[in-house]
Amino acid sequence: MFGSSSEDVVVPRAFKLLKELEKGEKGGAGLPPYLSYGLADADEDEDMRAWTGTILGPAGTTLDMRVLELAIECGSAYPERPPEMRFKTKVNLPFVKGDGTVDLKTLGVAQAWKRNNSIEDALNAVYHAMMRPECRRAPQPAEGTRY
Amino acid sequence: MADASSLPRRILKEAQRLQQEPIPGIAVEVSETNLRHFFVVVEGPRGTAYEGGKFKLELFLPADYPMAPPEVFFRTKIYHPNTDKIGRICLDVLKDKWSPALQIRTILLSVQALMSAPNPDDPLRENVAEHWKTDEHGALQTAREWTAKYAK
Repeated sequence: MFGSSSEDVVVPRAFKLLKELEKGEKGGAGLPPYLSYGLADADEDEDMRAWTGTILGPAGTTLDMRVLELAIECGSAYPERPPEMRFKTKVNLPFVKGDGTVDLKTLGVAQAWKRNNSIEDALNAVYHAMMRPECRRAPQPAEGTRY
Repeated sequence: MADASSLPRRILKEAQRLQQEPIPGIAVEVSETNLRHFFVVVEGPRGTAYEGGKFKLELFLPADYPMAPPEVFFRTKIYHPNTDKIGRICLDVLKDKWSPALQIRTILLSVQALMSAPNPDDPLRENVAEHWKTDEHGALQTAREWTAKYAK
């Protein structure tokens, strides 16, 4: 075939993050309705490291309808490595450590991560893990409690 | 090290020509690991608030280039109504006015021209555009200060 060689186009980190930002900015068009994310501080963060995300707790769980805030860190190894995520809203979930940090191994994201995965995928993994049998009935702190 | 053999010939040609016939005031360097990724330094055009500054940009040719335009953004902070805080640029040739007949060279010339002619009527940053429209002298002063501070 003409032109369609075996070239493996790698999108550099900054351009990938810009695409992700654009998707997050479009008022969530294209994103699942239970997710949102954006840059934490566009003024001072040239490397687009610090992001914030929200997840709406899934129906049928003890987090149903709660707005859960997370801090997301896309380090310089992103997207080769997944972003670090930390809950700011207090939750009681087996894959979340005492300080709110998401354990990417327990979540399964650390093992399954691929370069073309995104912040959206990472948040989606957290959302879906909330519906695991060991998570859905977990007693939760009072709504609005923070770390 | 990146492998050039699978890269579309057009991209190789363009990159070669940028080295052989550089654009005055614009330096282009291709990434060692990704031949679609370019590091660009644009000198602030003479007689503008950006004069004396060196403005870094990054440019990337997406998989569907040249059907899709290059992606380009400022890496150096610049006080300009047609850029946003992150350095994204509002330029018609990067969007609906893109045509596969255009090139990296054309895009970089357009960026240079945009630096010479800020257009506050089609802004990306409302507050900066407002500053331009209500107090052009003050806006240019701020732009000069940013140039001195960030565009070393």
